Amino acid sequence: MSQTQRPLELILARNLMSALSTPAFLVDEGGLLVFYNEAAGMLLGKRFEEVGTVGADEWGAMFGPFDEGGEPIPYDELPLVAAVRDGRPAHAEFEIRSTDGTMHEVEASAFPILTAHGTRGAIAVFWPCAEDGAGPSSNGAAAR
Amino acid sequence: MKVRLWGTRGSVPSPGPETIRYGGNTSCVGVTLSDGSLLALDAGTGIRNLGLSLPEEPTRLHILLTHLHLDHIQGLVFFAPAFRPRTEIVIWGPASPEASLRDRIARYISAPLSPVEVRELPCDVSFRHTPEAEWEIGPARIRAASVAHRGPTLGYRIDDGDSSLAYIPDHEPALGADLETLDEDWISGFALAQDASLLIHDGQYSDAEYPDHLGWGHSSLSHALAFARRTGAERTVLFHHDPLHSDERLDRLGGEARERWSTIGGDPDRIELGVEGGEYELRSLGASARAPAQPV
Repeated sequence: MSQTQRPLELILARNLMSALSTPAFLVDEGGLLVFYNEAAGMLLGKRFEEVGTVGADEWGAMFGPFDEGGEPIPYDELPLVAAVRDGRPAHAEFEIRSTDGTMHEVEASAFPILTAHGTRGAIAVFWPCAEDGAGPSSNGAAAR
Repeated sequence: MKVRLWGTRGSVPSPGPETIRYGGNTSCVGVTLSDGSLLALDAGTGIRNLGLSLPEEPTRLHILLTHLHLDHIQGLVFFAPAFRPRTEIVIWGPASPEASLRDRIARYISAPLSPVEVRELPCDVSFRHTPEAEWEIGPARIRAASVAHRGPTLGYRIDDGDSSLAYIPDHEPALGADLETLDEDWISGFALAQDASLLIHDGQYSDAEYPDHLGWGHSSLSHALAFARRTGAERTVLFHHDPLHSDERLDRLGGEARERWSTIGGDPDRIELGVEGGEYELRSLGASARAPAQPV
């Protein structure tokens, strides 16, 4: 029997995220990015199907993120990873780089997926900062 | 491993002349393991007849509940062995952060819904949350996993020797997902059903009915066929029939299932609608009996 089955909570999260117009990212219980939706793909310039499940180093090399000074932010300091690790919501502002080199300033809110069997992973939703025109909507400022 | 369907209906018992062949009792499947151990999968009204079929001698049995909707537990207070002091019953079911399995079942087995309370049952009954890891009952390895339905809901896989049974009676794996293109590890219930000797799966709605029941936690015929094809089950029994579906309606649905299965290269004798009283003796048939590879 396959042992690679994703937990139901991640499956349902992915299904929901697939239907959203807000960029959203999903990591598993180990902090590995396992999915992002089409809206996130538009922001990054690459669909998830083209990128697949990648490790922290490869992800950082492709998209960042970067702090205000342009320095790379370590993967394990991202809200998504912090949410999994600490079992608490996390929020941050940073810049990501899309494949065409454009930098996007975004806010990211992440929350852990907690179940009776512990933390299954985390979801992060990205909102473009007010001055950044990227993304599906300019309403991100309302969330600040 | 021997399997008998004691109740194939979903949602609510639906006895009557129009449902006499497929049956009106709600979900219950009896499983006799290779050493004679007895399992009951769900305790819908079908478990009443299962109980009546058992001898009155000391008995130990396990009831594996997928979830606690009424059509899966209603038969518990009409299960004769539960009223015999020398019967030992272990009830397994999904955990919930809200209350224990015992307390949640006691909401049904208590006044005013029931004339008896759980504590008054004469049998030796215990309640256990299913573990995340595989466990053993007699010679069988049992695995439970959460599946897409409303509320905490499990599917089960039972491996006994080289045969395996997957039981996922309430399941909407296609909710927000395309079963034909999704990677298998992202399909709800996939690992439970993969290459099973027998898959008993939700097939409550026709394709025409499904849009009006989106999100209700059940499958259309197309979804059930797609799930069966993707998982490679050797034989599939569609289950949890809609209470509005008469025998004639189910005959047509079953005919459509066989025809579509055949069209994509499957053996039409390996897909059928569950009939109350239906029996199966499971043994692995190997890759030649597996589901076809083409999309449904």
